[in-house]
Amino acid sequence: MSNLLKYMIENASMILNYANTHFSLIFSAVVISLLVWVPLGILISRNERLASIVIGIANTIFCIPSLALFSVFVTIPFLGLGRSSSLLALVLYAMMPMVINVYQGIKVVDKSVIEAAKGMGMSSRRILREIQIPLAAPVMFAGIRITVVMATGIAAIAAYIGERNLGRLITEGITRNHVEMILSGAILIALIAILFDTVLGAVERMLVPKGLKVRRSN
Amino acid sequence: MIELHNVTKIYAGQTVPAVNNLTLKIEEGETCVFVGPSGCGKSTILRMINRMIEQTSGTILINNKDIRETDPDRLRMGIGYVIQQIGLLPHRTIAENISIVPRLYGWDKERIRKRVDELLELVGLDPDETRSKFPAQLSGGQMQRVGVARAMAADPPIMLMDEPFGAVDPIVRGHLQDEFLKLQREMKKTICFVTHDINEAIKMGDKIAIFEKGQLVQHGTPQEILANPKNEFVRTFIGYDRVVKMLTLFQVRSITKGNYSIIRENELANIRQKMDDEGAAVGILMNESTRPCGLITRDDLEKAGDVSPEKIKEIACSKKDAFIDGDLLLNDALSLMLEWDSDYLGVVDGTQLIGVVSLGDIRECVRRKEGE
Ligand SMILES: Nc1ncnc2c1ncn2[C@@H]1O[C@H](COP(=O)(O)OP(=O)(O)OP(=O)(O)O)[C@@H](O)[C@H]1O
Ligand SMILES: [Mg+2]
Repeated sequence: MSNLLKYMIENASMILNYANTHFSLIFSAVVISLLVWVPLGILISRNERLASIVIGIANTIFCIPSLALFSVFVTIPFLGLGRSSSLLALVLYAMMPMVINVYQGIKVVDKSVIEAAKGMGMSSRRILREIQIPLAAPVMFAGIRITVVMATGIAAIAAYIGERNLGRLITEGITRNHVEMILSGAILIALIAILFDTVLGAVERMLVPKGLKVRRSN
Repeated sequence: MIELHNVTKIYAGQTVPAVNNLTLKIEEGETCVFVGPSGCGKSTILRMINRMIEQTSGTILINNKDIRETDPDRLRMGIGYVIQQIGLLPHRTIAENISIVPRLYGWDKERIRKRVDELLELVGLDPDETRSKFPAQLSGGQMQRVGVARAMAADPPIMLMDEPFGAVDPIVRGHLQDEFLKLQREMKKTICFVTHDINEAIKMGDKIAIFEKGQLVQHGTPQEILANPKNEFVRTFIGYDRVVKMLTLFQVRSITKGNYSIIRENELANIRQKMDDEGAAVGILMNESTRPCGLITRDDLEKAGDVSPEKIKEIACSKKDAFIDGDLLLNDALSLMLEWDSDYLGVVDGTQLIGVVSLGDIRECVRRKEGE
């Protein structure tokens, strides 16, 4: 234990640097994923054919081992080693949990609520905006939180393709058989995941409509 | 006015029509109740009228205009719709739920606020207590009442109500029905009201349309249908108490007669003489404050034989509760006659005596109505 602390303190600037890179990779991956996959999830909730195609693709990508996906991207000229490949891989992995949760969230909204709203003359855009999306919020958030925790883990593997992040502590630690190094990498990765999840939990509590929480507390 | 001409609906992937070649007219200001067993197509008809679904063939006209010529959202804004499953928005407060259509019309806040409170009162919910609750905090029956309030929010001239009182207990249901009838007498909306409860249909409907497996079996006023069930299906649907149900259509007041004598305490000794002179079938005992406090029929007197005035008073007073309000219905009168084992009941308006009603009169009424 004291060895671990000693190691971390001695290498503080390097570790912080790695943590910073790790954090920024996840952060950009999540932001891009939100911008791309949430609208796509909403879009496919209105078109069943498109939905089955998109969900098929998302599932397939998710099945590719991460190391393999990273390596494939490295061979593509304009991606190469480093940030672009890692980012693209993370965003693609996020497709499955995000798109499917957004889609499911909208789909599971009580049919009778939609029927009533439509029957009162609300346009379908208005129903989407005022009813389906707010009601899908809890399921969407579940997807986003899974994505973030997952991305934190997978980002570590990007160390193999040149990302200088916490994954490096683990890969190098393994080759050098350096326990403290491996442990500090693993612990910090877990901490980042917990940090993200906590923040998102707080955001969720703010954004999920109050009327839904009433039901949950019963 | 809503008109359906040869309307058929076959759902995608099905071969049997959910609604088969239906021609039906619902007049302006009329409440038409659709009844029939589960799955006979009642909800389907409502959903075609507000274009939630499109009919497979036939035409539907609202005020002589084909509904397909109106933008569906516009059309629906003008039609109050209470769905069977209630469908309140769980993330919106009760006030917000009720104000959906007024908001679509762009009413200002103050007008909406007033209207919400008015509607909550109307459906028997306390505005201060209910307004800012969420649907999950209400009981099923309360939610249903909010559903009705929501459909009436912008005062639409047409209402489609799919089992609007299905989830409330019989007492509240009766109360809501009464309230709604009272309101409807002023509002004169054109209403399609779905239920599978024949009693509700008889009570609420100006007209009743009975359906079986997508087919209109009989359409007419409650009295027409009760007096002349068209076939075995309708007969079974109405039940063995068909005639008693028919009695629910008439108030006691409507057959009340004046063949009674008022008997004061000091007239008890020559009660027979007085009743003979006045050609009365019943003697109503009055106390000093001219309130009816007892009732005795000719039969009672005959059975009693030659007895003292005290005894006559005792017999009369044993039926001191055999008085019924003129607003009550003939089935209630019949039940009370059986309860008091009396062929006659006194009829009052508040505390004021207005006449008597007899078992014979009820039978006579049924005979007359069956003949019509
Ligand atoms: N969306 C649908 N797709 C296919 N069939 C349907 C659909 N909706 C209703 N049906 C069928 O159409 C028939 C009529 O249904 P409808 O809902 O109009 O009945 P209902 O009279 O309202 O019954 P209930 O009293 O149970 O509400 C039923 O046999 C039902 O199974
Ligand atoms: Mg139905």
